[in-house]
Amino acid sequence: MDAQATGDPGGGKAWGPHNTVTVVDPSPVNWLSITWNTMEEANRVDHDGIGQPSLAESWQWLDGETLELKMRDAVYQDGEPFDAAMFKLGFDKVQEWTNPHPPGAFLNFARDVTCEAVDERTIRMRFPGGDSAALMKLRGMHLPSTRFWNEWGFVDPKTGSAEGHW
Amino acid sequence: MLTEGVSLIDSRSDRVVMEPNATYWNPARKPTVRIVYDNVIGKDAGIESVASGDGRVDVVFDLTPAEAKAFPQSDKGKIQTKKAKTILTGVFNENKPDSVWRDPAVRRALNLAVDRHFVLDQGAHGYGTVIPAFIQPGRYGADPGMSPLPHDPEAARAVLERAGLGGREVVIVASPSWQGVVAAIGQCLSRIGLSARFVSDRGDPPEDFDIKLEWYFDWTPQYPVACVHREFFGKDATLRQGPEDPEFDALYDKLLHTPEPQTEAVVREVERYIQDRSKALFLYSPFTLFAVSDRVAFTPYDTCMSELAETRIKG
Repeated sequence: MDAQATGDPGGGKAWGPHNTVTVVDPSPVNWLSITWNTMEEANRVDHDGIGQPSLAESWQWLDGETLELKMRDAVYQDGEPFDAAMFKLGFDKVQEWTNPHPPGAFLNFARDVTCEAVDERTIRMRFPGGDSAALMKLRGMHLPSTRFWNEWGFVDPKTGSAEGHW
Repeated sequence: MLTEGVSLIDSRSDRVVMEPNATYWNPARKPTVRIVYDNVIGKDAGIESVASGDGRVDVVFDLTPAEAKAFPQSDKGKIQTKKAKTILTGVFNENKPDSVWRDPAVRRALNLAVDRHFVLDQGAHGYGTVIPAFIQPGRYGADPGMSPLPHDPEAARAVLERAGLGGREVVIVASPSWQGVVAAIGQCLSRIGLSARFVSDRGDPPEDFDIKLEWYFDWTPQYPVACVHREFFGKDATLRQGPEDPEFDALYDKLLHTPEPQTEAVVREVERYIQDRSKALFLYSPFTLFAVSDRVAFTPYDTCMSELAETRIKG
């Protein structure tokens, strides 16, 4: 695949041994490392193992069931702006499936969880009954651009299913 | 961004290439290098390449303690360690209703029989930290009042003999990477008249094994119980070797419905519960081990993920 095919804005940088790091990663969860190297989520975990904001720059629980997140002003590498609507799109996509996450159903949002883009930067998620695992689950909810969803997505072309492929 | 190759759960392309996103919003995590995952060269050759400085490989992940110990003296590369959020623990086989390992006193006795520091030093060249249960001291959810179970072989012997285990060979299923750990456990057991037999987990383990060693890691933002404890003891656990545990499930449910600012107290409650019930053979937290070329400033992650945003070429 050439750089243009991924929406690379270019810049003419010549890649060679001088600016390439080659790694061998035999881990069985290498697929997850690649995902977290190339996608972004509302939050992440830093190299000291501590949760940090990522595409969400902050969040707060308004009450025991309502989580409000403020989205960062950012732009995808293909030029599309990131906003609250893109978060909502990511949520709607993952909720289409019963068990999308390879590690297991513990990462699923309950079916009655709702997500609303209040404005361009604000997301309000409602978790009936509460869910203290919400931020852990958001770590596994990828927020790619529209182009990713339209051209690739997580659906396995062989099976037509995204179950276990997120 | 990904520009070549794929890495799936069950397959990988020969190379996976990632190039920096020139418009990325976070300057602190904006990569400066192209990353190539070489999925062909293999681990052994990769380690040799780092040691020799031939330029083919810069970082090799997930070395075993034996591989790290055997890394040659080199001015071209070194072993880098990370106190990651990991555990190495023994899962008792409680699958049969009459299993002796269903008795918490017997599980505790085996814990008392094992000298964890000896196992770590002899079996893993010291690459790790002895911990009380599943969480390292100082981490989110660690209980400052908890200590590792003591080494008390005489107390262990009395209980194990009463349970009919005197002189018994304890069958331990494990990855070949942990064969040294099993041998060290065997040395501990030999001091009270028992022994240990290593059985590789490559292939079908015998139905009547006693313990299965499992390495596991926590990738979560301060939510270890869902990722780790649940995977061993929860009703949907994939590593559980026995019946469901309604007490654990109730604690997990309590955690899920505790407002987030108060969850750490419940995580500590879970840690105390699994240690009080000796739910596993607690061993230690293995360091993650890397072979790293001298030309690279490599930032490993406590999550055990090969995230490489901060990795740089020196100079």
